[in-house]
Amino acid sequence: MIKVNQLEKVYRTEEIETVALNNISFDIREGEFVAIMGPSGCGKSTLLNIIGLLDDMDGGSFMFNGVDVSKFNERKRAEMRKHNIGFVFQSFNLIDELTVYENVELPLIYTGVSSSERKRIVDEVLDKIQIAHRRNHYPQQLSGGQQQRVAVARAVVNKPKLILADEPTGNLDSRNGSEVMQLLTDLNEQGTTIVMVTHSEHDSRYTHRIINMLDGQIVTQNIRL
Amino acid sequence: MFKNYLKIAFRQLLRNKTFSVINILGLAIGMSAFMLLALWVHNELSYDRYHSKKERIYELWNKSIWSGKLECWNVTPVVAAPTLRQHFPEIEAVTHVDWPNERFLSVGDKKLSARGNMVDPEFLSMFDFPLISGNINTVFKDPHSILLTPELAEKIFGHEDPVGKVIRIDNEYGVTVTGLINTPPNNTRFQFEYLMPWSLHEELNGQDNNWGNNSTHTYVLLKEHASIDNLQVKVKDLRRNYARDSDPYDMFLYPMERWRLYSSFKDGVESGGKIELVTLFGIVAGFILLIACINFMNLSTARSEKRAKEVGIRKTVGAMRSSLVKQFLGETTLLAFISFVLAIIIVQISMPAYNELCMKRLFVPYSSPVFWVLCIAFILLTGLLAGFYPAFYLSSFNPVGVLKGTFRKVGALVTPRKVLVVLQFVFAIVLITSTIIVRQQIRYVSERQVGYNKDRLVYHFLSKDLDKNYHALRQEIIAADLATSVTKTSSPLTEGWSDSWGFVWEGKDPNDKTDFDRFCADEHIVKTAGLQLLSGRDFDLQQFPTDSDAIIINESAAKAMGFKDPVGKIVKDGDVPLHVIGVIRDFILNSPYHPTKPIIIEGARGWFNVVNIRLNPQVSNLAPLEAIFKKYNPEFPCNLYYVDEQYARKFDDMNRMATLATLFASLTIFISCLGLFGLSAYMAENRIKEIGVRRVLGASVMNITSMLSVGFLRLVFIAFIVAAPLAWWLTGSWLKDFPYHIALRWWFFALAGILATLIALFTVSFQALKAARSNPVKSLRTE
Repeated sequence: MIKVNQLEKVYRTEEIETVALNNISFDIREGEFVAIMGPSGCGKSTLLNIIGLLDDMDGGSFMFNGVDVSKFNERKRAEMRKHNIGFVFQSFNLIDELTVYENVELPLIYTGVSSSERKRIVDEVLDKIQIAHRRNHYPQQLSGGQQQRVAVARAVVNKPKLILADEPTGNLDSRNGSEVMQLLTDLNEQGTTIVMVTHSEHDSRYTHRIINMLDGQIVTQNIRL
Repeated sequence: MFKNYLKIAFRQLLRNKTFSVINILGLAIGMSAFMLLALWVHNELSYDRYHSKKERIYELWNKSIWSGKLECWNVTPVVAAPTLRQHFPEIEAVTHVDWPNERFLSVGDKKLSARGNMVDPEFLSMFDFPLISGNINTVFKDPHSILLTPELAEKIFGHEDPVGKVIRIDNEYGVTVTGLINTPPNNTRFQFEYLMPWSLHEELNGQDNNWGNNSTHTYVLLKEHASIDNLQVKVKDLRRNYARDSDPYDMFLYPMERWRLYSSFKDGVESGGKIELVTLFGIVAGFILLIACINFMNLSTARSEKRAKEVGIRKTVGAMRSSLVKQFLGETTLLAFISFVLAIIIVQISMPAYNELCMKRLFVPYSSPVFWVLCIAFILLTGLLAGFYPAFYLSSFNPVGVLKGTFRKVGALVTPRKVLVVLQFVFAIVLITSTIIVRQQIRYVSERQVGYNKDRLVYHFLSKDLDKNYHALRQEIIAADLATSVTKTSSPLTEGWSDSWGFVWEGKDPNDKTDFDRFCADEHIVKTAGLQLLSGRDFDLQQFPTDSDAIIINESAAKAMGFKDPVGKIVKDGDVPLHVIGVIRDFILNSPYHPTKPIIIEGARGWFNVVNIRLNPQVSNLAPLEAIFKKYNPEFPCNLYYVDEQYARKFDDMNRMATLATLFASLTIFISCLGLFGLSAYMAENRIKEIGVRRVLGASVMNITSMLSVGFLRLVFIAFIVAAPLAWWLTGSWLKDFPYHIALRWWFFALAGILATLIALFTVSFQALKAARSNPVKSLRTE
């Protein structure tokens, strides 16, 4: 599904040049659950953002589902993103002014799904992640775990082929963290490819493969049996 | 999607109440000021544009050299109209329109004054003043006929049908109501309550064939397809061809569409006119709206950090930049709509006061579909104007940065936000300076020595009865100890009604066309008016009966005639020799903004329209004086005018302008400060951590307050640097229109700058102080 070859990313300021990703190459197959690990500043979130088509790359190639997306402009990237990729963030990133229902509904609005169809899909997803009873609440009225479940619901509502999760349990206690990891595992078992950045050894145990990074490079790739 | 945008927009408004109130209030005030000014501008632009034959209607004008200058004026001889009618086949119709006259109308016990004109029957077919009743071909057949507006008819006759009824005019002659005519709208130069036929004018005053007597207005309707250019060539020589004994002025036809806005001439060509004021008001309107929109732009971009996360999330879940731009523009349009509703309420509430200020009858045309279409366009335009910058700015955020929380703009030296604040304050400072200068100019001119004593001086217009009984009236007023002196004059002391360059004296250069104001007084004018005699004496018919042929001149007249010792000199007015008996100090007869002109006061042989009374200092009540007037003038109400009040009216236009300038300057500064208030609140909020750290490290409240305020004050200072020369140039050009004007002083500008700075400082320091006094522990915890 994802084929990255000699990927480079450099951050430049007036005085310094920081190499965030240095000649990174790897593949991710459809249906895989992959963890990207490494110390802070090693480039794992940068890698995730590039895979998620949120950020540009400075060198190398990136094939997504057989399509070379490395030269895509912002409009094409947004188009590709909204149909294929879901995101889960450490800080949930829900819109405070929208209710649970409306937050989950948002990706469907941008893909042009009709109102009645949206209602059906959102209700179904909310039921599935067991947050339907909070559908009219605003994010501030929910616990961290509940907020992250809403974020997961929003990530899956468009039935994306790929979910990118950036430290999804980083702001949660262990019980809520485990619940979210279970949710992601269930999704993976239903066929969704998941790439997750994490610091947590515990969370990495849910995945099939661990990519370890250091200073912008992949140091090891461990396949879990 | 639209529903989603609307939902977010409403929730944003409710969640950020301060921001919403500042934005909606600022925009509503800006919009209402814009609307009020736009109504005024529209009214001016629509003047006499509704007449169906407007392209073919012209006014007859003169053009000639006066006092060395090529002047144009629109008062023409009575005889011009029949001459045009008789000799110019290109002309379809011609009408006289006399000066609008206040006449006294009575029917039985019902007595009232009304303003109207005498016109030819063609007037009714040339202009669009439709008759409500009566036949257009016959209403003016009889010279003793009158057309009334429905309002006047109701005032006189109540709900009775007025047609066929007789009204007595000025207690001298009767006229029969032959029909009702629509009340003229407020955007026409013809404002009348009644119309009477020109044939009545001729019956009362005789036929006037004197081409030298410019006394009326003449309007012309061209035939369809007639060439105005060809006609202009012929009209130019009208006087030369048909009035060989008159002064050979050029004449020309001036098109209706130029009357209202362009009829100011300099050296024989159009120069400025009301269009300048209309343009100025239009610019001011646009700027006030722009300033209100700038607030929105500034506050929205200042709040960008708060909305950055939303932009990031929307982009992550698939929003295109264009859909975000649409969303933000939609929000501003919603805000513009709410502000518009509020603005309409403000406009409606302030309309009566505004009409009084503008001396107009403006109204919001709610029943006009065009008005509503314009309103929708206005809301959309304001929404776009206010929203385009924030929309493009906010939608440009990179989702990676904003979602990771690393987004934070470093304060650049020049940012669009700073430029916009500077722009707001440039406009505010220019308006404050203009207000100061307009007020200084009024003060300067109103403190000018008027040249006579206007206190305790009253006048009354002479009716036939008063003129007949003048001596008895005067005797009785003096005998009753009500006045120290009484005299008749040709016009009130505040108005000159006659002028001439035809005076002749010994040694006069035949090419000298110096124009003299001609004023007439019977006797004791110096004593009554309190004029300052420089040499000679006052008129005194008791001691010097020949004073009826005497004149008193002012010092400018003496200078113009080159007299070193004027008393005893002979000056001819036409063929009549008049001898100078006194010289007085210059006094202001007409405009206080212009230098005093040479004035010749002719004695008792002149004509009289006014009786002037110098009140006895002990008189505190005018009732006894009114009783005497009533006795000698029983058919008319007594209308005594105080000279000082009438003189003060010369400043009405200027005072109105000063009030408008103050109003708009205050609105501008208020809207700007509203924006500054919001902006400083967000700035303080964004720097809350820095403030906490500084406090912990020992900074005082004062240190923090000045740190937060100084950035804004720097912007106001830059605005002052830009505004001062701009204001200097603008006000300097304005003052040039007044020959008698103040000199521009540096402190006018400094005062405006200080005022703007103080107001800005007060606004900003309120927020700065609040932030500085907050508990540093709390502010550090917010991070």
